[in-house]
Amino acid sequence: MLALLKLLQSLVKTLHSDGTPAQIALGAALGAALGLTPIANVHNLVILFLLAVLNVSFGAGILAWGVFVPIAFMLDPLFDQLGHWLLTGVPALRPLWTTWDNLPGLALTNFNNTVVLGSVVGWLVLFLPIYFAIRLAVVRYRATIGERVRQSHFYRVLSASQLYNVYRWFSP
Amino acid sequence: MSTAGSVRSDGATGYGPPSSAGAPATPNEPPPARQRTRIFRWRGLLPLALGLGLMYAAWALFGERVVRDTLREAGTKALGTQLDIAQVVIDELHTTVELRGIALADPFDVHRNLLEAKLLRVELEPDPLLEKKLVLRRLSIGEVRTGTQRATPARPVTGGGFAPSMLREMDRWAKQFDVPLLSLTPVDTIRAIVLDPTQLASVRAALALVTRADSVRGTLEQSYRSLRLQETLDSAQALLTRLQGANLRALGVTGGRTALADTRRAVARVDSARRRVEALATAARTAADTLQLALRSVDDARRADYAFARGLLKLPSFDAPNMGAALFGKVTIDRFQQALYWTTLARQYAPPGLLPKESDGPKRLRRAGSTVHFAKAMAYPRFLLRRGDVSVTVSDGPARGTYALAATDVTTEPALVGRPTMFALRRSAKGEGRVDSLRVTGMLDHVSAHPRDVITASVSGVRLPSLPLPVLPYKAEPGRGTTEMRLALEGDRVAAHWSLASGTLTWREDSSRVRALNAMESLVARLLTGIGVLEIDAELNGPVRSPKLSVRSNLDRVIADRLRAVAGEQVLAAEARVRTQVDRLVEEKTAPIKTRIADLRAETDRRLADARAKLDTQKQKLDAQVKTLTGGLVGLPKLPGN
Repeated sequence: MLALLKLLQSLVKTLHSDGTPAQIALGAALGAALGLTPIANVHNLVILFLLAVLNVSFGAGILAWGVFVPIAFMLDPLFDQLGHWLLTGVPALRPLWTTWDNLPGLALTNFNNTVVLGSVVGWLVLFLPIYFAIRLAVVRYRATIGERVRQSHFYRVLSASQLYNVYRWFSP
Repeated sequence: MSTAGSVRSDGATGYGPPSSAGAPATPNEPPPARQRTRIFRWRGLLPLALGLGLMYAAWALFGERVVRDTLREAGTKALGTQLDIAQVVIDELHTTVELRGIALADPFDVHRNLLEAKLLRVELEPDPLLEKKLVLRRLSIGEVRTGTQRATPARPVTGGGFAPSMLREMDRWAKQFDVPLLSLTPVDTIRAIVLDPTQLASVRAALALVTRADSVRGTLEQSYRSLRLQETLDSAQALLTRLQGANLRALGVTGGRTALADTRRAVARVDSARRRVEALATAARTAADTLQLALRSVDDARRADYAFARGLLKLPSFDAPNMGAALFGKVTIDRFQQALYWTTLARQYAPPGLLPKESDGPKRLRRAGSTVHFAKAMAYPRFLLRRGDVSVTVSDGPARGTYALAATDVTTEPALVGRPTMFALRRSAKGEGRVDSLRVTGMLDHVSAHPRDVITASVSGVRLPSLPLPVLPYKAEPGRGTTEMRLALEGDRVAAHWSLASGTLTWREDSSRVRALNAMESLVARLLTGIGVLEIDAELNGPVRSPKLSVRSNLDRVIADRLRAVAGEQVLAAEARVRTQVDRLVEEKTAPIKTRIADLRAETDRRLADARAKLDTQKQKLDAQVKTLTGGLVGLPKLPGN
């Protein structure tokens, strides 16, 4: 329940931040990687770094992480199959994986794991659809009910909290 | 922070309604300058650094515990038996890892530890770590104890993975050996034999023979009908009737020529029929002989049935070879099973070739997937111990002493290393402990596609473990003696030899199984407890999945002879009863077959003889007719067989 409330809070804050729809969408598309791919992997450190230093919505990234985790659980069999096919079913890619698996540093990415590789590729494929879908959704929201929500008591309480100030460190 | 497309938070929102709806912008006010969006937000590095700092703190606080739990879980899964590690200490700067308080449970005995080590220290080469590979520069193990009792029984490894399934496979493997039972229950109380006749191979063979005999009979019938003898005979008879009393003068030249030609054609048909009859006779003889031969194989199968039926009686065979297996078969299988388990495990984790290898992915909340390892020539293998020299101190148990273990090229990718894994364990100091000498050597050659593993172990002057007797509540205590084991795995074939010799054998009552003995058991017990020398010699040969086991011991002949003398009469009577019963059952089934085969042979002979006679008669008549037509100038050739 608390997690849901947090998600809701994050959603509202993000939608009413000063960020442009593009910044929010980009943050969400990046954050989707955290949810879609197994979290304890090197590439997610890169994603976190990008979310922090790029001028995108960090909140949207964290929100997308939470939203995409259950989706990832559902898609895992698909990711597993996709990764397995890429690793073992495409002979042309074998030299690439062999090199990758034996290069210092790159070997730590765990891309030789079927779920990790499948989910990263899946995320890359979904990156642009997520980006455009969220940008469109933010534009629509702001053009329709956004201002009414902003004037609501709930929003004022939310934005007055201390957490909101911390959140604004990352808010574009 | 401000971004392009946004306004300051104290002003109007970038996407909200204008402050004065519909009012045009003041002409004097310059249009708001379009701000360029900055790509980077360097301020974000601060919390990121904070996060990394927190991660490092978490690693410092919990990292070693997480690594310990992971190692414990992975090791348990990989080895198929519980692995406990009390503490892990990681020195990142010197790339060393220390494991303290290691206990590896015996996969074949949950109450024992196969190995306990107080400290295991590995120094890793740093560069391969970046490739997620472990190349051990140095390995040292301290204060090793073996065969110690566990305070709590080891948990069975129930999960998937190779080792647990291998363990289950090994259990099944051990059960395949038909260790003969040495039942010392008095023969007259042995349970009555209840035989399902179709359990006997000879009965099954006899039943199959019935079907076959019927089929042969049907085939011969069909062949006989296809001779169409009656048609040939009728046709010849019709011709003879037509030409009866005719002569060349009455028929004229043309009529005589036609009659002669008709007669010759009839003769040819009779000849052809006669040849077919002879061919059929040969086929019938062959078929009957084949059936007779098959009947003999039924008798051969009967001998196997005697042994089978005797097995149902739970009577021991008093042959010495069976006696060895009955006394020490279980112990022997245990020894071979353990050696085979570890060797097969080594094959699994060090497979030959450089093809990508799949293993289960890391355990996590999400699907683990599988991890594919791509080996590359001229690269580090995933694991390599170039050379390990370990001093092992066994501080307790019969093998107490100091040992030196040396291992070279222990790796997960033997094809990359190009050399077989070699190891040797020997006593490093004489005059201490309870073992005179111990030497274990091994070679695991998985470099080529045809793996070959050879392990030899020989221990002398060691206190040998006690061997429980399956049939009596006694344990053989071999005392100090010598034991040797050699296991060779060539591809999927195994050749193993195990021997044990002791001159200080004693016998001890097994308190956990103590019970009143019957007369025969008492006799064997008296016999055994009088023997002070033990020599066991066991061999295992053949395909790994179903090898042949043979066990011999010096007790075999002694017990076999004595048992035969004492229980001989009763056993012989029981065996005779079994033989009679088998004979009766087999006779019941085979007698009709014998009759059928005899009938078949007689019937065929009679019919063919009849056919021959009829054909011969017709041939003679036709011959006479030709003579009549030609005035005795032309004769007919004799029929074959006459």
